[in-house]
Amino acid sequence: MILLQSPSRFLLQILKDRIVSGDKGVDIDCHTVEFDDVRYHVQFSMRNPKVMVLSVALPLAPPEAILYDGLPLGAIDAIKAAYGAVVQILDPPKDCFDLTMKINLTKLPTDEEQRNVVLTQIASVREVVLGAPLKLLLRHLASKTVAPNVDKLVALVHRPNESFFLAPQADKVTVVYPMRFQDSIDIVLATSFLQEFVEARRTAALNNAPSCMWSPVPPLELKGVNADALDANAGFVTFVVFPRHVEGRKLDKTVWSLLTFHAYVSYHVKCSEGFMHTRMRRRVESLIQALDRAKSDAEKLKKLVHGGSFRRLSMKHEGNSNH
Amino acid sequence: MDPSERPAVVFDNGTGYSKLGFAGNSEPSFTIPTVVAVNESFLDQSEQCSSANWLAQYNAGVMADLDFFIGDEALSHFKSSGLYSLRSPIRHGQVNDWDTMERFWQQSIFNYLRCNPEEHYFLLTDSPVSTPESRECMGEIMFETFNVPGLYISVQSVLSLSAGFAYLKSLSEEDSEDSVSDMTGVVVDIGDGAPHIVPVVNGYVIGSSIKSFPLSGSDVTQFVMQLLQERGELLPPDDALDIARRVKETYCYTPSDIVKEFKKHDSKPSKYIKQWSAIKPKTGVPYTVDIGYERFLGPEIFFHPEMYSPDFSTPLPELIDSCVQSAPIDTRRALYKNIVLSGGTTMFKDFHKRLQNNIKKIVDERVAETNARHRVEVKPVEVNVVTHPIQSYAVWFGGSVAASSHEFFECCHTKEDYEEHGASICRTSTVFKGMY
Repeated sequence: MILLQSPSRFLLQILKDRIVSGDKGVDIDCHTVEFDDVRYHVQFSMRNPKVMVLSVALPLAPPEAILYDGLPLGAIDAIKAAYGAVVQILDPPKDCFDLTMKINLTKLPTDEEQRNVVLTQIASVREVVLGAPLKLLLRHLASKTVAPNVDKLVALVHRPNESFFLAPQADKVTVVYPMRFQDSIDIVLATSFLQEFVEARRTAALNNAPSCMWSPVPPLELKGVNADALDANAGFVTFVVFPRHVEGRKLDKTVWSLLTFHAYVSYHVKCSEGFMHTRMRRRVESLIQALDRAKSDAEKLKKLVHGGSFRRLSMKHEGNSNH
Repeated sequence: MDPSERPAVVFDNGTGYSKLGFAGNSEPSFTIPTVVAVNESFLDQSEQCSSANWLAQYNAGVMADLDFFIGDEALSHFKSSGLYSLRSPIRHGQVNDWDTMERFWQQSIFNYLRCNPEEHYFLLTDSPVSTPESRECMGEIMFETFNVPGLYISVQSVLSLSAGFAYLKSLSEEDSEDSVSDMTGVVVDIGDGAPHIVPVVNGYVIGSSIKSFPLSGSDVTQFVMQLLQERGELLPPDDALDIARRVKETYCYTPSDIVKEFKKHDSKPSKYIKQWSAIKPKTGVPYTVDIGYERFLGPEIFFHPEMYSPDFSTPLPELIDSCVQSAPIDTRRALYKNIVLSGGTTMFKDFHKRLQNNIKKIVDERVAETNARHRVEVKPVEVNVVTHPIQSYAVWFGGSVAASSHEFFECCHTKEDYEEHGASICRTSTVFKGMY
């Protein structure tokens, strides 16, 4: 799996289970947390087994990102457009949550394939809500206009207290991500990963992809932005999105990829760390085997008597090599 | 937001199934088979040709280090394509392949729970007989690769005990009576891996009295399959084990007396014999399998192990009894009073009744003997096998309860500890440091 999937596996599983289990009502009250502090709370009550109450909490917005009633611009319209009659928005939302929806499972289409499409849509609620303003801007790009009443630079929240920036123009949208990581190793890996990323974009196969730049200092587009928002320890990544990238069905994919770019990078940083550790372990194993082969028979015998284990030796070396 | 304000992630990786979820929930978010399907065509090539290897991968459009699946997806990819090979990182309750385990965790974190491991504390579980080295390895992977802020490695049996305790407490609150004992009891943990009988006193494990039972859930499956095949049922060889497993999960039960059960089946076959219908995977031809004696003979291997394995003949109740007898004498009554079942294989219908009867019989005989020999009247020993509906994921539930308390975050090994002292902080577990 190279990209993160848009529908939440957990929500999808609960919804599908509920459809299959029919009218057997069980009380469900559970919560789950996704990357970047998106929290879900799912409730089914015994009395209404076909009604799911889903509450969503969004990441805490930094001051530069503007929210409307706690939701990103156009989120309510996007929900209504995506789900139609199946979903009813409850106002005000539950305590500690930004959005509460009532999902009526009896109103789902009866055809299995269509129903699965709607369920997947519901499970992708994150994309619908957080991606709403992005989608709005990109839709205007597809028709080569600039959305009315939009500033020259739009900040959108994507992580707790962090936002990324869009500079919409009629023929292109420039997207800038300040990249921040906590761990010092992560910072180094992410920086080189991003430089490779820009390098990889130059290969012939990716000629049509959005152009991509990385710089250690804020790019010109971000002039005049509050200095706090520009404090990034792994540099800045800039994508330039053209109308051809958001035509028709490509739009949804583009929105999701842009929205989760930071999560994507951090996922791959973790994967490469894991891969490196695997290789280190394998290397240590082979070195120990080489050492073992070099031992004389007398030494081997002594070792057995004293009971020092092969395993412990391997652990010790591994620990050293990782630091 | 501080990681300790978010719910902790609780992983219970068992030999057969892994339970994944967040603390504070009453059920795990995911229960998936602990298997990984890896694409081996690009792995395991020698170092020299690594650049050629990379080029080959690049041309094939594959990233070998990301090209793997876990859980049910792994099973379906393994079946549908020859590219993947199936690996189980855990055997007999203990992790034996750390690379695969790391991959399994990676997917469970990023693809299943979809959380950022840096933002959550983690609770992992560990078999009571696993080595300090394996706990060290666990800590190393969690802190180095996933950068978790805090980690707690708990012993499975203590968690099952606290799960049973929490469950009974939730019941007794409703009935407003407080007759629940504290954290003392014998945990009978039979999963797909290595079953253990672990006595726990006041939350501490009595390490010297842990007994292991060689037969597990996978042996029941094997035995059911063997019985079906010996009787001449036509099972497709590819699916035989899978069908046996599902037959076991749906139809098997524990009778109180095996001889009576044979008679019942013989007199009323229509009532007791079940049918299993499926479709052959290769040819698509539907077929049915009759399920008769297998229904009660499968679980019977715990009470008559010699039926299945010639090398081992101590029945489970006897082993539990000897486990309690080897514990300190002042704890035995409390241990007999609270025998807790845990693991999917204890879910057979009436398993606890049979176990309770058999243990009671052994104990009563011993008491009667003592009375006769010393001419005294000993107070009868209370034997109680506790059963609850969450047995199949009791360990996970116990973990969820433990990790949602405030003390949990103070007990964790933190990233700072790890960086200061290294992986050795995970070697020991406090539950083994009791006064016994």
